[in-house]
Amino acid sequence: MTGVPVAPVRDPVADAPEQRRRRRSSAYSGGNPLVYAVALVVVAITVGPVLYAILGGFRTNAQLAANPVGMPDPWVVTNYIDVLTSAQFWQLTWNSTVIAVLTTAIVCVAGVMAAYPLARYTFPGREVLFLVFTLGLLFPLTVAIIPLFLMIRDMGLTNSVWGVALPQAAFALPMTVVILRPFLRALPTELEEAALIDGASRIGFFWRILLPLSGPGLVTVGVLAFVASWNAYLLPLLILTAPADQTLPLGVANFSTEYAQDTAGVLAFTSLAMIPALVFFLAMEKRIVSGLQGAVKG
Amino acid sequence: MTQHVHAPPARSGSAPEGAGAGVPPAARKRRAGAWRKRAEIAFFVAPALALVATFIAFPVAQAVRYSFYRWNGLGPLENWVGLENYVRALGHEVFTDAVVNNLTIVVLSVVVQLPLGLGIALLLNRQMRGQSLLRVVIFIPYVLAEVVAGVVWFLLLQPRGMLNALLEAAGLGEWVQLWLADPDIALWTVLGVLTWKYLGLAVILMLAGLQGVPPELYEAAQIDGATWWQVQRKITIPLLGPTIRTWAFLSMIGSLQLFDMVWILTGGGPANATVTMAVYLIDQGTNRSLYGYASAVAVLLFVISLTLAALYQVFILRRDVAEAPARRRRRRAVR
Amino acid sequence: MSRRRGAVAITTAGVAALVLAACNGGEADADGDGGATGQDAAAGEEVTITWWHNSNNDPGRSYYEQVAEDFMADNPGVTIDITAIAHDDMLTRLDAAFQTGDHPDIFMERGGGETAAHADAGLLRDLTDDAADTISVIEAYTGGYTVEERVYALPFSSGVVGFWYNQDLFDQAGITEVPTTMTEFDDTVAALKSAGIEPVSVGAGEGWPAAHYYYYYALRACPEDAVVAAVEQHDFSDNCWVAAGEHLEELIATEPFNAGFLATPAQTGPTSASGLLASEQVAMELAGHWEPGVMQGLSEDNTIPFNLGWFGFPAIDGGAGDQDAVLGGGDAWAVNADAPDAAVDFAEYLLSDEVQTGFAENDMGLPTNPAASGSVTDEALAELLDTRDEAPLVQLYFDTAFGENIGGAMNEAVVAIFAGSGTPQGVVDAMVDAAAQE
Repeated sequence: MTGVPVAPVRDPVADAPEQRRRRRSSAYSGGNPLVYAVALVVVAITVGPVLYAILGGFRTNAQLAANPVGMPDPWVVTNYIDVLTSAQFWQLTWNSTVIAVLTTAIVCVAGVMAAYPLARYTFPGREVLFLVFTLGLLFPLTVAIIPLFLMIRDMGLTNSVWGVALPQAAFALPMTVVILRPFLRALPTELEEAALIDGASRIGFFWRILLPLSGPGLVTVGVLAFVASWNAYLLPLLILTAPADQTLPLGVANFSTEYAQDTAGVLAFTSLAMIPALVFFLAMEKRIVSGLQGAVKG
Repeated sequence: MTQHVHAPPARSGSAPEGAGAGVPPAARKRRAGAWRKRAEIAFFVAPALALVATFIAFPVAQAVRYSFYRWNGLGPLENWVGLENYVRALGHEVFTDAVVNNLTIVVLSVVVQLPLGLGIALLLNRQMRGQSLLRVVIFIPYVLAEVVAGVVWFLLLQPRGMLNALLEAAGLGEWVQLWLADPDIALWTVLGVLTWKYLGLAVILMLAGLQGVPPELYEAAQIDGATWWQVQRKITIPLLGPTIRTWAFLSMIGSLQLFDMVWILTGGGPANATVTMAVYLIDQGTNRSLYGYASAVAVLLFVISLTLAALYQVFILRRDVAEAPARRRRRRAVR
Repeated sequence: MSRRRGAVAITTAGVAALVLAACNGGEADADGDGGATGQDAAAGEEVTITWWHNSNNDPGRSYYEQVAEDFMADNPGVTIDITAIAHDDMLTRLDAAFQTGDHPDIFMERGGGETAAHADAGLLRDLTDDAADTISVIEAYTGGYTVEERVYALPFSSGVVGFWYNQDLFDQAGITEVPTTMTEFDDTVAALKSAGIEPVSVGAGEGWPAAHYYYYYALRACPEDAVVAAVEQHDFSDNCWVAAGEHLEELIATEPFNAGFLATPAQTGPTSASGLLASEQVAMELAGHWEPGVMQGLSEDNTIPFNLGWFGFPAIDGGAGDQDAVLGGGDAWAVNADAPDAAVDFAEYLLSDEVQTGFAENDMGLPTNPAASGSVTDEALAELLDTRDEAPLVQLYFDTAFGENIGGAMNEAVVAIFAGSGTPQGVVDAMVDAAAQE
């Protein structure tokens, strides 16, 4: 909907971001001390709370009470070990993983399928159909949460990974379609023409050529869906009532109130709960950022 | 949305059947092709449409239905009250406070994060040591769960928490506040935490936008002797317009739907000082069992979001569409 | 909004007898019939009973596991499926389950408007006849669970709310006697302040702990018929409901509360109201019978490092209510309307002399079965039990009595008074407004 104007001239295949960056950096290079100082402040504020949690997990409650800002002295690993050796933590992590993977898979498959005709077919009602998806962006889960809960119960999906993954995928789809459509549209038409001349069907073109080329776009929407699912709170709260089926955010929230007197333990639990998301993001950072470019411009 | 009007003539390539239309095929074949095309479209769109219809459209329609009833969630839906729930909500001080809080967050999120995000993006968009690390670091808060980040901030912001201890240690004792407990301050605290959480998104999106600025422009400007700042002001920022407008739209929608962070940090308190529409409706629904009323609030939340989104589309995003043909010509000339 | 958070530790906040005369100990008929009935009823058939409770920490958790084992051993064919969950989660899950009708066979009810709504919706089994023997043992407490003369739950714990205080800090401030009137209370606060001690903690962040002050002022200010009219007809026209708020405003004006009380949680963590009392940072807190257990849970070594004392809410000048009445509540076992008969047997077994005695011995609450009264080992709790039994009237927490809708609106309006943004009339307006929605 938004980046329409720029899309036609974009060519993600040719314009490799690496190339561009290198060229520009030759134009204006180097940073002055002020830039570094500002960067340092930004970093300190950004990672401060995260570091506080991680370091706090290495302290005892007595240390935390005596001096909220100090460094661990001595370093204590029992908080982390307690969490890492508890079956609960791993169960929560496993549940979060299963639900996030399912959500991501559904979003990617359904999203790219829907975006394809919206991007590369002309047919009456196309924009109306697209509008249906974009309107979905406006519905927060909270608007539908009560009827949604009742419906999921009727479908017998309470305490099931599907009860969370399917609605989450549905709520992630509008954004996915909005991102993928311009992305697919920007792929060069010549590819399609060549494929069709070679006798490939439209569906064959989709599978064999379009899908592999839309990798970066799929990574973007996949990662967005994965992170959204991994971080989701409200829907799992209502659907996953059995402790054995709950996800990490629910576990963190519960742990932080149930063991609130054990601040160091809460910090250790919370820090460990952050790690999967952080590791995942660090591993994907390059591709996310290059993918996001397509998203915003598209 | 209005691209429909502009798109077909301008876009030479992306409509493949346009190319095929030039060749006169047999009428029957064309009809078969048309059916085939329809079947293909249906096949591709069906899964997504089914999910959206089942898990978004249907429950939302149900919420609208519930909103006309007085219903405590137990027993059948039978006590029809018409628009009473809506009248109540609009006349209820906590709801109107929630609307004001949401709007405050909508406006201030953009006002605060735009210059910060733009500034940091411009800083990062140059060659410097540790640049890639910086980009990662600044995005960290965004990938953390609101619940997880909220729990950490909740601890930091306690009266005897780290923030106040830091202020004391820095000799800024008079800055010590009851960050989450003072009704006059709590909303600003929440805004601060939200800025921390979402600034990374603004930076990353704007960096992405900056990647799209043609390097030729920089080179030309440099040859003309423009300073770095002049280049940013005259070239970069104007070209970032579409990115900024898109980001602001996403930010606005997010602010209107804000729930998790407030729920964890303050629960809407103290004394409803930080209540948002979503927090209010969940509270009324789950804690008071006023399902009909909560559904009416949900519908109002939707109507308000829709209105703002429509206004935004009409008054701000439309500029992108209107500018489009001109820019397209310009780009083609460059090529 | 963590407003639902009840007492996590021993028993729970929120609940019990509507207006129960607590002094009749009910010595007669003290023989609980326990699992005996169960044996007959369940013999031969295979049934599974689902049971949710909130004793998710030891010793309560293990005790209840043992209780279930014993019952199953005596009742072949009966399987009891226990879910022990934190209080908050239990409430959330119960609410969800009530909506869908798949609530467990045995679960906790808190009495008042909520129980009445559940009974109206046909979710609860009418126990009046099926558990008549047990009800006769605990009838002093069943009032809050009775709707139109039918009893829908069996109260197993009933406590009272009062001031828990740190005797050491009182000594330090030179306070020799606990206050019995509001004037004396104000003096106590002043003495503590001049000794540099923060006088009172209140978990206003969760609403209900702050609202307890309003309830007590209302209980002191309102004649009994005004209370009955409010509970039964939701009639708040008596001026005492405004007067209660005015008394509260006067108290708040003396600034007795801990810094940041508006966001202070009730019981979670060291900075909660209970945590502040436990760590000797304030001198007292208005709280229920759960307080010693909560404070133990909040300390590193499960002990309270000072002399803990208790006094009742002070009397007010010229109040039309009974100045010795207490505010209280508790929990009851309710049975699903669709549950097998064995579930009723098990609920009765939970109220038997045997189980209630163990319940008392494990300091899990204040037992309602008089046979177990003597088994409460904790001194503070035993003291409370005496107070409860001597009180002329035990009024169920008003938010519970009025139901979650009016109760929630009332609590919110009371917190607004604490925040300085609300008025006494505002509380009454909020209640009237919410009642109009019923």
